[in-house]
Amino acid sequence: MRGFIANDPSCTTKFLISDGVNARSLVRSLVNRMEGSGKEEYKIQSFDMETQKLLKTALKDPSAVDLEKVSSVIVDQSLKDQVFSKEAGRICYTIVQAEAKQNNGSVFRRNLLNRLQQEFKGREEMRKRSLQEWVCYVSFICNVFDYLKVNNMPMMALVHPVYDCLFRLTQPDSLRNEEEVDCLVLALHRIGEQLERMSLQRMDELFCQLRDGFLLQENLTSLGRLLLLEVLEFRAGGWTLSDTAQKYYYSEVAD
Amino acid sequence: MSSNSQKRRQITGGDLRKNAPSPSHYGRKRGSDGQLRSQGDPQPSLGAKGEHRHTDNRSERQASFTTPETVRPLSRCKDWGSEVEESEMRMSVNRDMQRYRRRILTAEFSSRERKVSSGSCDSRDSASPTELETDENVLLRRQKQINYGKNTLAYDRYIKEVPKHLRQSGVHPRTPNKFRKYSRRSWDQQIKMWKVKLHTWDPPAQDGDLQAIEQIDLGEVMDIELDPDGETCKTSAGDEMDCFSVTPRKMKKTEELPQV
Repeated sequence: MRGFIANDPSCTTKFLISDGVNARSLVRSLVNRMEGSGKEEYKIQSFDMETQKLLKTALKDPSAVDLEKVSSVIVDQSLKDQVFSKEAGRICYTIVQAEAKQNNGSVFRRNLLNRLQQEFKGREEMRKRSLQEWVCYVSFICNVFDYLKVNNMPMMALVHPVYDCLFRLTQPDSLRNEEEVDCLVLALHRIGEQLERMSLQRMDELFCQLRDGFLLQENLTSLGRLLLLEVLEFRAGGWTLSDTAQKYYYSEVAD
Repeated sequence: MSSNSQKRRQITGGDLRKNAPSPSHYGRKRGSDGQLRSQGDPQPSLGAKGEHRHTDNRSERQASFTTPETVRPLSRCKDWGSEVEESEMRMSVNRDMQRYRRRILTAEFSSRERKVSSGSCDSRDSASPTELETDENVLLRRQKQINYGKNTLAYDRYIKEVPKHLRQSGVHPRTPNKFRKYSRRSWDQQIKMWKVKLHTWDPPAQDGDLQAIEQIDLGEVMDIELDPDGETCKTSAGDEMDCFSVTPRKMKKTEELPQV
């Protein structure tokens, strides 16, 4: 705690931890959030054995499986499993590449995208029904945006839908929930720079919303404010944190 | 041409559906929706109403269809899958275009020393940049038609059997050159011809009831050069269909055939 305060001569720290939450645990949670979660490449251990087998076959020999089913299985799981939703883009990418290489097909990609589109249309209802599912959806679509490139270019079709999702997350009722703020800032860390290149205007608007939220919204949690502040600095620094900011937010503090 | 909505929606080969009864579709590996074929039925076409079901909030912009060749922004109603496929095709068509232009330039450059044959058949004239087809929508449509033909077992077998350097002009089918200026009718006929030629490489029958492949007599067709490389004579393709009216009897493709 002491180290944390010492880094910051201004009264910001008091502002951030005014509700008495241990600053170190805040920082640790920030760090953990940013790190990738581990060893297994495609993170398919959450699937049952039969499905794991299906996925492994899809990765090696796409024409041997029902790709519509594969995409459906992946999307379904992404909407349930937070860890998977943040990393499923990679397995999708591999299957797309495998299918293209094997027979120049794009069945998997088409099914995946159309399913994403379907869920996108029903996102407001999804959010009402289950915050968890909504957050998973946003993580997933951002992850797909990150991984699934077309001729090394991001998919145009996803740019505005992704923005729409992020804008939704800046609404007051979302900023109030840590999970939604967390989802928002993680997305911006991962794909913010790319999104900005696709539309500077919308990114500027998004950040206006973020600033307003940070400044004016009263029911943010400490962690929520910390996350927003960090991402504001992150973008201001050209999608990277300055050394001092890095130290401030991420250095392990000894008791 | 047929209804705009139908043309616009199909990504692969939709244009061709209204043309020949298309025996070629029996040799297709994949249907127009991209699924590997199990039966011969084409994807049922949706009316304009059906289209709305698959759209997002931008559907209101679909209200009026303009002429087929008008360049429209991607916000025109489509599902994401189709949008991405089309944009991918657009990119690859543009890339092809650059590559083709480079090829022509280098060919022109190196041919300056060689003797130029006389007459209107000098292909070097017709390959000049001003005569190239550059309209992206036309190129895209042509590319889709080409993809449709390449997406066949016959084509796969053909390219395996006859490597490019062994191909003889006139004997072996050559993909029509999408970058050259042709009338719509001329182009469509070239495509038809090409696909007919490709049927020579249709997979053989396994079922005794099916007819054996007829060797197509390509005699009359030999006069017409399809020249994707821009190096041989270009002739008017307007009257070629008159000499060639036989529809070759074809094999139904069966799923049991060994796939690539």
